[in-house]
Amino acid sequence: MPGRLILRRPSPTTVSFTVSNASRHTSTAAKALFYLQILLRVLALVCVLLLDIAKFRHSLFLQDGSWIRWTTMWSSSMGSSVCRVADAYSSPVVVLASTVVIYGVFRKGYTEESLLVIRGLGIQTSTSSQTYLSKASTRFIPTTQIQDIVIHEAFKGFEVRFYLAVIVKGESEVVVVFPKLLPNRQILEEVWRGSRRCLYDSKS
Amino acid sequence: MPYNIAMVSDFFFPQPGGIESHIYQLSTKLIDRGHKVIIITHAYKGRTGVRYLTNGLKVYHVPFFVIYRETTMPTVFSFFPIFRNIVIREQIQIVHGHASLSSFCHEAILHARTMGIRTVFTDHSLFGFADAASILTNKLLKFILSDVDHVICVSHTCKENTVLRASLDPLMVSVIPNAVVAENFHPSEPPSVPRNMGPTDIITIVVISRLFYNKGTDLLIAAIPRILASHPNVRFIIAGNGPKAIDLEQMLERNVLQDKVEMLGSVRHEEVRDVMVRGHIYLHPSLTEAFGTVLVEAASCGLYVVCTRVGGIPEVLPQHMTTFAKPEEDDLVLATGKAIAALRSNKVRTDRFHDQVKMMYSWTDVAHRTERVYNGISGDISPEEFYGYYPGQDWEAGRDRVRSFALIDRLKRYYGCGVWAGKLFCLCVVIDFLLYVFLEMWFPRANIDMARSWPRKLNQKENNRLAIASKNDRLGPAS
Repeated sequence: MPGRLILRRPSPTTVSFTVSNASRHTSTAAKALFYLQILLRVLALVCVLLLDIAKFRHSLFLQDGSWIRWTTMWSSSMGSSVCRVADAYSSPVVVLASTVVIYGVFRKGYTEESLLVIRGLGIQTSTSSQTYLSKASTRFIPTTQIQDIVIHEAFKGFEVRFYLAVIVKGESEVVVVFPKLLPNRQILEEVWRGSRRCLYDSKS
Repeated sequence: MPYNIAMVSDFFFPQPGGIESHIYQLSTKLIDRGHKVIIITHAYKGRTGVRYLTNGLKVYHVPFFVIYRETTMPTVFSFFPIFRNIVIREQIQIVHGHASLSSFCHEAILHARTMGIRTVFTDHSLFGFADAASILTNKLLKFILSDVDHVICVSHTCKENTVLRASLDPLMVSVIPNAVVAENFHPSEPPSVPRNMGPTDIITIVVISRLFYNKGTDLLIAAIPRILASHPNVRFIIAGNGPKAIDLEQMLERNVLQDKVEMLGSVRHEEVRDVMVRGHIYLHPSLTEAFGTVLVEAASCGLYVVCTRVGGIPEVLPQHMTTFAKPEEDDLVLATGKAIAALRSNKVRTDRFHDQVKMMYSWTDVAHRTERVYNGISGDISPEEFYGYYPGQDWEAGRDRVRSFALIDRLKRYYGCGVWAGKLFCLCVVIDFLLYVFLEMWFPRANIDMARSWPRKLNQKENNRLAIASKNDRLGPAS
């Protein structure tokens, strides 16, 4: 899905460009789908956790805990059916399957990358993480270290793509802004103009 | 009408050489004439990605596997996805391939025809017909050229060779020679003063060539001791490097000629002139040569040229600038002796060479003639005008020469290449076509970003017109 640009300008000397390929949830159906997705994720997580606990009930969850009574739980009708399913598979299979499902539950369905420009201070690039559990990776470059901001082309896979790059003083490699999404030229040109105006143009 | 042209070749800067500078000079002159030109070549060490040269000449250094003497692996189809991407984003209308040993160029021409783009091929070299490597190359050339729109050769000998190798229609082959930038190759002294040579003055012979077998280095190794033995006041300067350099050095050591022969190693192209002006005679012992740009450069520097009568060399320079030899040891020694004698008797006006060469060769002229070829294949001038009109002949000029892009017509042309080869080539073309259809679905055209063109510099005429127009504007309201 091609990325779209979101421009925020909280003050005249600050501007933030965000490129994201997340869907916008404008229509009612899309909103409903979005909440349904959250519900499904929670449900899947609960199921997997329950299955895992059932699998390892003999080693870890045998005695009654302080607030959950495991023994009564395993003897109930739902508990016994979960136990039957868990016992049908060997433990490596269960561990592997639950890892995959947990990863799927916490995986983000979109990528969001942003460039924050603050005059007199510097710029910060950030790329959203793949899962909800980890933080976004960011990089801050102070104004004194910015040599230039350029748009250039490079080979990527079977294509030639445009990219926006910050040339940092004293570093042999440039810092690529929006490295994962690599938005199209029009977006890049808008970001390039906006960030240069914010960084260097004293009038605005 | 301005075109968007892609020059494709394995050979480009930073590697030095004749083809490389040909592509560069032709491209810059075409840009001056208002066209948009990009160059597609493979990645060299330390030079990858997209680069810009002077005048907004854009170079794509495509990362690719190099096998032998900077030639890429012939993989037929693997270049197609990236080539298609470049062609679409640059809106290319004409693909111009260079050099018959470059697999990059062959593949590009094949894919360009599949994509429905006009193609031109420039042949820079001569080939034999006998040995295995030549037979293979010739078959490959026949494959590619059976569907190309037009071929350019650098000399008439080269044209003859190419027409025979690829069984082409001779009218589809044009001859456009190389040229030199005469300003970069001017003689050291002011040109009006004739050089007077005494009988004991030192005469320096310059040799600048890559030291490979086909450049006649063996001939040179055999001839140098004999020339030096019979002419004591002669010195040699040899520039260039290659596998034969070691043989040359052994010869110097065997005959103790180190004080008379100076070996410079490889020189950069911009230093060639400085080496040339140190000498009086340029010796070119090449065994095969399609054109020999270096001869023009030498003559432009005011050197008398001794060369072998092979390939396209006899076409390059007029009689009074050269002494020809057969490509054998005895004749080369004899011809060099003749040249030395001619210089000693002050019969040769080498001081006039520069201006004469300047009149004969210019890149602007080459670009002009190449542009006519582009016009011809794009249909901007009629086939009758382009291929010539022959009244009374029973064929039409443009009947078979304007090549349609229909797959069936292309297959017909390839099928005629040979009993087995024809079928193999047809298979390749069909696969190429299917690959194209697949790529159109997988990487749709709409998703490819168009590249911006370099802002075009106005030429002199347009500049003047604009200046006049703005002056009129300024005068208008006041009057």
